[in-house]
Amino acid sequence: MKAMKKGLMSIVGVALLGTQLVACGNTNTANSAVTPSNADKTEPAATEAAAKPVEITWWNFPSFQALDGEVGKYEKEIIAAFNEKNPEIKVNLEMITFEGGPEKLNVAIASNTAPDVIYDAPGRIIDWGKKGLLAPLNDMVTDEVKNDISEAFWKQSSVGDNIFMYPINTAPFMMAVNKSIFEKIGALDLLPLDKEDRTWTFEEYKKALAAVKEKAPDVIPTGFFAKSQAGDQGTRAYLANLGVSRFLNEDNSAVAINTDNAAKALDWIVQATKDKLSVSGAASLAAADVNDLFLQGKLAFTLNYSAVLKAQNVSKKMVQFEDVLLPFPTLDGSEPKLEPYLGGMAVFNNGDEAKIAASKKLIDFIANDPVWGKKNLIQTGGLSVRNSITGLYDDAEYKYAEYARKFTTDAPTIADGYADIRTFWFPELQRALTGGATGKEALDSFATKANEAITKAKAALK
Amino acid sequence: MMSYLFLLPAFGFFLLFVAYPMVKGVYISFFDYSLRDFSFIGLDNYISLIKDDNFMKSMGNTLLLVLITVPIVIIFSLFVSMNIYKKKEFARSFFRGVFYLPAVSSVVSITVVWGWIYHPNYGILNYLTGLFGMEPVSWLGDTRTALLAIIVVLITTSVGQPIILYVASIGNIPTSYIEAAEIDRATPWQIFRKILWPMLMPTNLYIIVITTINTFQCFALIQLLTSGGPVYSTSTVMYGVYEQAFMLGHFGYASAMGVILAIVIGIISIIQFKYFGSDVEY
Repeated sequence: MKAMKKGLMSIVGVALLGTQLVACGNTNTANSAVTPSNADKTEPAATEAAAKPVEITWWNFPSFQALDGEVGKYEKEIIAAFNEKNPEIKVNLEMITFEGGPEKLNVAIASNTAPDVIYDAPGRIIDWGKKGLLAPLNDMVTDEVKNDISEAFWKQSSVGDNIFMYPINTAPFMMAVNKSIFEKIGALDLLPLDKEDRTWTFEEYKKALAAVKEKAPDVIPTGFFAKSQAGDQGTRAYLANLGVSRFLNEDNSAVAINTDNAAKALDWIVQATKDKLSVSGAASLAAADVNDLFLQGKLAFTLNYSAVLKAQNVSKKMVQFEDVLLPFPTLDGSEPKLEPYLGGMAVFNNGDEAKIAASKKLIDFIANDPVWGKKNLIQTGGLSVRNSITGLYDDAEYKYAEYARKFTTDAPTIADGYADIRTFWFPELQRALTGGATGKEALDSFATKANEAITKAKAALK
Repeated sequence: MMSYLFLLPAFGFFLLFVAYPMVKGVYISFFDYSLRDFSFIGLDNYISLIKDDNFMKSMGNTLLLVLITVPIVIIFSLFVSMNIYKKKEFARSFFRGVFYLPAVSSVVSITVVWGWIYHPNYGILNYLTGLFGMEPVSWLGDTRTALLAIIVVLITTSVGQPIILYVASIGNIPTSYIEAAEIDRATPWQIFRKILWPMLMPTNLYIIVITTINTFQCFALIQLLTSGGPVYSTSTVMYGVYEQAFMLGHFGYASAMGVILAIVIGIISIIQFKYFGSDVEY
């Protein structure tokens, strides 16, 4: 009896420990989640002034470069300038990180404490839009703006006819090379920098890697990473371009990366690791680890770079070198396909029309204010999504980034089930890297799981 | 009545932050609870979990972690304690401090240091093994070594408290028992097995149960060092709970994982209480 009592007490004790971590949330989520049909209800236009005082919360990833090294300082300046024109709107800023922010957002949404406005990217925003958590921004978009932004960006910012993200800044995701290393080893001619479009082939890329391995033995020629989903646009685009394949098909309804050429490219990456042409231990390295090696001058090429990241990395360089943007090489020398980074703002529908209207005014100010619009754009280190706004920077790399926009392809971030699709990608890369599967087996396995996720997500949305 | 009022603040906290979340966690596990939905689905989450290869793999990894880590922690802690409890106060304090340091250090800091030790390209471990002509190993990037690498870190961070407790417990055992055994020509092993070990049973029980629970709840190391990889080889149930709940927003599914983990820990704890429980008093 005594033993039984003890046992019972221990069960209760450990059950307390075991379950408390996952027990949070609010049962009212379902009731308050706004379905798309509800979201279509008439709401005040963004241009209408909010007469009554209203308080909104803005959660922001470090989308703007920190001013004087102080996170959030620039955002506070934006708010101060916004308040000069809109004194009735109080904006509470909360800075979140790329590491913990996504989880924090999930918890906030599930517990009905989501912010009113956020600056983020389509990967998360469109997922929220599909789940009916956001307010449509169609009434904010004038014809002039609509026509000044390419259709591909609107596609990434919308769910059906509803615009859920107000696109602001962009930059094609590319790779980068430490040009100083090639100057040092006298192999600058192996880089495609004498061509305006900087396009190059897989073979040319291999020659460049071999030169680094031979002439700069202390430097790792190129990087790869598969520890987690962070930065997976880099590994996606790398494989897709090396294998001249798309990641998903045209309408994002199925995986398209599992081609013979992409599989061969993955096999080559595995072999390149063994041959010391590509960083070893890629299965345990995150995108940030590889970029750190690049910024330390220990890596000649990195796979996850853009004009935005280049600007943000200036202060993180451990040694001085010239980092130059490059498109991914392609198997047959055809034009590369670059996934765009797209940043923009969205408004959560928290059931308060006044807050929604005030949030839209903040977005309008950040994106379109005659003075602050351009200033904000430059502070992101990105290019404008507007076709009419160019030449923001007097810098060769930015000019190239602007030029490379012609290689932009549609990103898979708007695919149904994208959040789940991502979780299958890096484990399959790990399987190939650790010798558990051939490139083809890994990509086929990914395709099977990802296609199931797409089908499931489509069914859930019906 | 007044005495109950004094209990109220602590009891209130217990109800609010322990009992309520626990009950709610069990409740949520029967629902499809995501960012969008909250609908009753009965045992579907549990049925899905049983069919989920990744969950079963995580459960296997978790059990393996426990089976390897707990005995090593107990044996190592006992060994160290037996060797330092007789030493002078200064030496005893020094060793206790050395072994307890990881327990009071930030897990994140420790993990970052170990991350660098294991780094495939610039890690000191590969440098040291290289001195003996060994090829560099991707300790955290190879399915054969990743879990072992995690276990090593886990052991270093788990031995501090047991050593402190064992040293204190051994010190509390009346020396007359040991002296009597020595007069009777008992060997050190006999003294340990017949006197020290039985008298350490209450401490053993506490250390075994707590170490087991802590190992079952291993999360930070996994998240920071491997994110459960490569190919789920270091994924634990606790990491799975985090991944499902906070990264993917599948709160019902994650709650079901938590409930299953709690049941497994409960069963193992009952077994431990049965075999290591004792009424020793001295």
